[in-house]
Amino acid sequence: MATMAHEQHPALTHGEVTRDVVATLGPPSRGYVLMLGGAVALFLVGVITFVALLKEGLGLAGYQPPVMWSVYITTFVFWVGIGHAGTLISAILFLFRSPWRTAVYRATEAMTVFAIMTAGLFPIIHIGRQWVFYWLLPYPNQRYLWPNFKSPLLWDVFAIGTYLTVSTTFLVVGLVPDIAAVRDKVSGWRKKLYAACSLGWTGSDTQWRHYTRAYLYLAALATPLVLSVHSVVSWDFAMSIIPGWHGTIFAPYFVAGAIYSGIGMVFTLLIPLRKLLKLEHLITEYHFDNLGKLTLLTGSILFYAYAMEYFVAWYSGNTYEQTTFYLRAFGPMWWAGWTMIICNAFVSQLLWFRKIRTNLTALFIISIFINIGMWFERYVIIVSSLSNDFTPYAWDQLNPTWADWGILAGSFGWFAMYFLLFAKTFPVVAIQEIKEMIPMPRKRKGAHG
Amino acid sequence: MTAPKIPGVLAAFAHIDAATDAIKALRAQGHRDLTVYSAAPNHELDEALAHPVSPVRLFTLLGGLTGCASGFAMTIWMSRDWPVLVGGKPIAAVPPYVVIAFELTILLGALSTVAGLVLLSLLKPTGRLLYDAKFSDDHVGIFVPCAPEQAQRVVELFRKAGSVEVHHAPA
Amino acid sequence: MADDTPSNGINRRKFLTVLGVAGGGTAALSGCSTDRVQKLVPYLVQSEDQVPGIPTVYASTCTECAAGCGLHVRTREGRAIKLEGNPAHPINAGTLCARGQAGLQGLYNPGRLSGPMARGADGSWQELTWEDAIARLAERVGGGAGRLAVISGAGEGTFADLLAEWTAALGGRLVRYEPFDHEPLRAANRQVFGLDQLPSHDFARARHIVSFGADFLETWLAPVEQQRGFAAAHGYRDGEMAKHVYVGPRMSLTGMNADEWHASAPGTEAVVALAMAHVILAERSGAPSDANALRGVLAPYTPEMAAGECGLSADAIRLLAREFASARPSLAVTGGVAMQHRGAVEACAAVNILNYVAGNVGETVRFGSRLPAADGYGALDGLIATMAAGEVGVVLVHEANPLYAVPKARGLADAFAKVPFKVSTASVLDETAAACDLVLPNHHALERWDDRRIRAGVVGLMQPVMEPVMGSMPTGDVLLKTAQKIGGVMARFAAPTFEAHLKAAWAELARQRSASAPVFWMEALQRGGLYEAPPAPPGVRLAAGAERVGYTGPDLDGEGALVFLAYPTSMLFDGRGANRPWLLENPDPVTKITWQSWVELHPDTAKDLDVREGEIVRLVSPHGTLEAPAYLYAGVRTGVVAAPLGYGHTEYGQYAKGRGANALDLLDGGAGRAFLPYLSTRVRLERTRGYQKVAKTEGNPRQLGRHIAEAMSLPLARQGLDPRQAHYAETGGTPHEINTERELEAIAGFAAAQQAATKLGNYAGEHPRWGMVIDLARCTGCSSCVTACYAENNIPTVGEDEVLRGREMSWLRIERYFEGGEEPGEPLEARFVPMLCQHCGNAPCEPVCPVYAAYHTPDGLNAQVYNRCVGTRYCSNNCPYKVRYFNWHAYNKTAFPEPLHLQLNPDVTVRARGVMEKCTFCVQRIRGAQHQARLEDRPLADGDVVTACAQACPSGAIVFGDLNDPASRARAAAADHRGYHALEDLNVRPVITYLAKVQHRTEA
Repeated sequence: MATMAHEQHPALTHGEVTRDVVATLGPPSRGYVLMLGGAVALFLVGVITFVALLKEGLGLAGYQPPVMWSVYITTFVFWVGIGHAGTLISAILFLFRSPWRTAVYRATEAMTVFAIMTAGLFPIIHIGRQWVFYWLLPYPNQRYLWPNFKSPLLWDVFAIGTYLTVSTTFLVVGLVPDIAAVRDKVSGWRKKLYAACSLGWTGSDTQWRHYTRAYLYLAALATPLVLSVHSVVSWDFAMSIIPGWHGTIFAPYFVAGAIYSGIGMVFTLLIPLRKLLKLEHLITEYHFDNLGKLTLLTGSILFYAYAMEYFVAWYSGNTYEQTTFYLRAFGPMWWAGWTMIICNAFVSQLLWFRKIRTNLTALFIISIFINIGMWFERYVIIVSSLSNDFTPYAWDQLNPTWADWGILAGSFGWFAMYFLLFAKTFPVVAIQEIKEMIPMPRKRKGAHG
Repeated sequence: MTAPKIPGVLAAFAHIDAATDAIKALRAQGHRDLTVYSAAPNHELDEALAHPVSPVRLFTLLGGLTGCASGFAMTIWMSRDWPVLVGGKPIAAVPPYVVIAFELTILLGALSTVAGLVLLSLLKPTGRLLYDAKFSDDHVGIFVPCAPEQAQRVVELFRKAGSVEVHHAPA
Repeated sequence: MADDTPSNGINRRKFLTVLGVAGGGTAALSGCSTDRVQKLVPYLVQSEDQVPGIPTVYASTCTECAAGCGLHVRTREGRAIKLEGNPAHPINAGTLCARGQAGLQGLYNPGRLSGPMARGADGSWQELTWEDAIARLAERVGGGAGRLAVISGAGEGTFADLLAEWTAALGGRLVRYEPFDHEPLRAANRQVFGLDQLPSHDFARARHIVSFGADFLETWLAPVEQQRGFAAAHGYRDGEMAKHVYVGPRMSLTGMNADEWHASAPGTEAVVALAMAHVILAERSGAPSDANALRGVLAPYTPEMAAGECGLSADAIRLLAREFASARPSLAVTGGVAMQHRGAVEACAAVNILNYVAGNVGETVRFGSRLPAADGYGALDGLIATMAAGEVGVVLVHEANPLYAVPKARGLADAFAKVPFKVSTASVLDETAAACDLVLPNHHALERWDDRRIRAGVVGLMQPVMEPVMGSMPTGDVLLKTAQKIGGVMARFAAPTFEAHLKAAWAELARQRSASAPVFWMEALQRGGLYEAPPAPPGVRLAAGAERVGYTGPDLDGEGALVFLAYPTSMLFDGRGANRPWLLENPDPVTKITWQSWVELHPDTAKDLDVREGEIVRLVSPHGTLEAPAYLYAGVRTGVVAAPLGYGHTEYGQYAKGRGANALDLLDGGAGRAFLPYLSTRVRLERTRGYQKVAKTEGNPRQLGRHIAEAMSLPLARQGLDPRQAHYAETGGTPHEINTERELEAIAGFAAAQQAATKLGNYAGEHPRWGMVIDLARCTGCSSCVTACYAENNIPTVGEDEVLRGREMSWLRIERYFEGGEEPGEPLEARFVPMLCQHCGNAPCEPVCPVYAAYHTPDGLNAQVYNRCVGTRYCSNNCPYKVRYFNWHAYNKTAFPEPLHLQLNPDVTVRARGVMEKCTFCVQRIRGAQHQARLEDRPLADGDVVTACAQACPSGAIVFGDLNDPASRARAAAADHRGYHALEDLNVRPVITYLAKVQHRTEA
């Protein structure tokens, strides 16, 4: 443990950790302000598009029956997936006592929360009568109408709702001691602010005693949760009878894909962030190397899943499945199909090389491929399967419009906006967990490991 | 904060072994209700203090069970309350409801865990104890509540253990 | 969202102004309030024939084509809301085609004129009062000492007689002109039989039907009557069905319903017919004795000779002739507009000979009943000449649109312009009316008194079913008023109104039948007219002209590489359908294209020319050019390029104006001819850079071996095989069952247990199970049911742009799949499947809805609760038949511009934006029938519930009923061995049973 810790943080004392992290909360740089401005601008594009949708109807988007779900649901699944890497790193790797998670987990956990916040908007945006979205909730009403719990969409409501709540709790609980640390370093109104946010945390032995246990159980609960959420999302498709959706492989396939896409987003966020906030000595090659290995693993699982989908389609002898997958590869949407396979299955294989895993430029480029590839994976699964299902006479191809892209852009703006604000307001590196890894100095040498 | 501070002695330690020595010595002298501040959980302090395991897990368990039960109860009752036939499936079809029950298990389990954390921490509030900003940074702090006449002995003990500084309350 | 509510925009006053025959109540109410209220208002003065909530049905007669089908006009609260067939009528017997039903949109057409108008000095239109308008007309026709010309539409009747007398009294000249008048047919009958008549055909009795380019299921003579007969003959029953062979360059809807299609070279029908007659005469006796006189005439027309001309093999012709002769009686028909070339008369004559030789004349071909409809193109042509010569002072155009229907090449527009004073009675400003000086909009046929002599013994009556929608006036009244204003000789037109005139005429009919006039009138009015048995057909013998039959070929002008084939579509007919959204959005049954005109090319021709679908091509003939997107169709002969008629209006209302290209522009004007040759020119095809996505509702025209549209050959059907067995009997394979016996048992057991578990709450006890059976052996794909569904269920038309996005809302669509025709020599076959919600027992759409908007009713309907729907569209994704339709925009606001909204059926919700909708099995009719039965305190009887589609279908292909009722027709039909469910292997348990199509296959 300790040796591992030293490997990560050569020559860092508790004091230096606090100092460096608190330093990230200083006045914003020009680059930061520009990025925030860009994010807000994108977000406004989304707002305008949504108002237009409310006024004119979903017809503004490029829906082309039988393709009744398209860019919005694609983007919904994309964002839900992004969230998963965060919980994996913060919760699952915590249970595995994986030492390298400490430096990055706060950022990824924040990413999770904001990704789910983004995803949560889409079920509302995409429905025909957005103003009655709350009918999906089992709230008491004088007509005794209840939702249909047999519908996978209801499972979604509960899965996403739970996921958002639990990961938010997890994030906040992790933050409290660090906010207290910040509180004790700053002055003036900021001290008041952080004092309020620290909920009277003093780090007394009692607090730590309950805190460590609670944190352990939260992690233990978040672990099956994260696995369930994307399984449920995958069942939105797998529970239907549409060829190309109706697959038993979907749950694990989607979970792997989710984590894969999530780590991709972690790269995309952390690589610039650590420069921006000067955290190079806290978030090091060591972390990226490990993240890279995780990407390689999940990417390879995807590779297998893709291969299996085609194999099963062929082996099943089911003409509907066979047609769907033939057209996925060689039909009108062949370009999307191959984008997904190249970006996910093939590009991820580059990470076999340590040189690439530790080369941040390479990783950043790969991460962009991953983001694109994973968005297209969902696009292909949803759109190409719907375009040509059972009734050939009804087949048609999708043509997205500005309304589709407007909402997509808006979602990125909305996410980036929150993430940037968070990074400037709260410690994006977990102070107390890093300190936990760095042994305190002692008077007597030798005693204790 | 306006509440008067509890009389006692507060010491700050820069070295972990110094702190643990002090704790052991105090416990040997029969001081039970020590308050030890640290910037991060530390297993050496835990050993020195020898607390029992936190009961927070009971909250987790009860929350989880409640969630599971309410999940099944809600889905089945609502289905029967408004019996609508869809897709030739039974009115109350349990398999799909497992998902709802599972999610609620997690949800209530997590929320009650946090509730447990808050409640248990409030049992021993630190608002009226002496505190020092160093403790959230790189020092370990130990506070011993004691009457002014005993204070001198405690201070001595701290100095021997190797504290970097000591405070009195009331100052 | 209150602004999405359907009632929005229905102005109360507007509603009241059309409020039925209860004029008094209307008058009393309409003054008392000026605000718009959003609810219907009961009558103050209740009229006995108007009960709010209960439809009142008036009998009338359809005027959408010359066939004269009988109508039942369903009215609610004084508004006509639906046109249905009159069950008592001898021609359509309760059914109606798409065009006939769309007549309602003629009544409520947004393009209708609000009142009489005249061109001012500056050429702009000025509204007039009727007094003023009639005074102007009287002044011109009265003062203008003769030189009056009247162009009227077809149709015998009291009005036609009045118009004729009126014109004669004014020393004018009357030309009755109908674009598709079948002059060649009449000429040929004159020549061969010495009868100047159109025959009537008994399709029902024919055992073998050969059509030489006569599209008798779409546009030829009386389509509904012929379709009924065809379904009776060609529909499979007890191992028997007639054979239908289509000979012609293009596979029309009629051709698609044939067992064999022979793609003969354009204009060579005559030689095929003569060769068949030759073979028959040569090979069998039993032909009428006088036919033998023809041996000499027919001698040169050997099958070999014919084969050289028409591109068919001599053997095929011989085989065809033998089949034709051996099936008694058989029937050969020709004279369709699409094959009306310069030699059309000899083609018709040749087919007459064929029928005569085969002994069909007097059997399936009868004379004496059909009345001459119009004077033919020759008469109009003559009039155009006199107009061009400036010899016409006043022209009055009534129910005709010659400026659109006559090719530009004839120069009618200039000739017409030469006439000093031009009057039209069009109720919508069509091309002709737009060129007139005075427009006196006529009442719509549903607003006025009128009658029509359809054929000997059959007279259809028309009566006002509601207050006029617009400020129009019956032209009969206009004629009478004008006459009275002129006075003098005209004073003898003394009847105060045309209604009085009509009743007088009918009193005369009563007198002839020595019946009491009032009773006779009342009965006729209720019945819809006078339906008497036709007189016995005269014995028909060959006339001298029969010797002159021969074949000279089509005689085409132009030197392009491609022969141009202009054909009428079953939706737009001669172009009069072009301002009816129902007809524009109801896909053309052959190409499945909506809202656009197109150019048909055979894929091979297209490959040679390097043309792709949707590429805008320019056709150039000596007479003009035409630009339209290309549509590749294997059903048109290589070297032939076909385009639909009826598009390319320059006026005629918002829906028609500027839509598509007018195929007539390519044609020669037929100056000096007795008829207009539509197949008369060769064209050159030029590629343009342009591209226009074709607005077709079809995705993939092949069913890829998915058992959606099943068919079996007649021998297999006779063995009583089901479609699956028939499939393996033909392909030689064996059924492949992936589950073992025990697995199948387990599956069945589980299904049963699950079904048992659903019998809870509302679902306990006995209920009907509504079901439908659709016989594909009878369905011709005519799409009449589609329009019926639009009309009954307030389905919005979404327009070209939305159809391009695949967002048409047709709850019921006719899927058209092709089989074969891929390798050269392989016959092309078309199958039709009416596809609507299958109301599955294990509906995949239901469980995925998060709010129970899609659910199953206890009586087996797959219901959709619009108010509960939030629009997740999951149900549509999960529907294997893709029969759920989503309101992407507020179609309920855009689809029914005033006064079209008056057509809406008050029994059916108009769906708001953002909800899913679908076929309900006309649940409003089901509940209506159940309530009626309860009122009469009797159980619901089989046949009490008829869905709109089943009611309209001229083929009687759709049967609806309770599958739990052992006595129901539906249940019996569903038990037929040809029965199958579409996509049966999905185990969604559809409640719709299709009966596989049965085919005469050439070999085997």
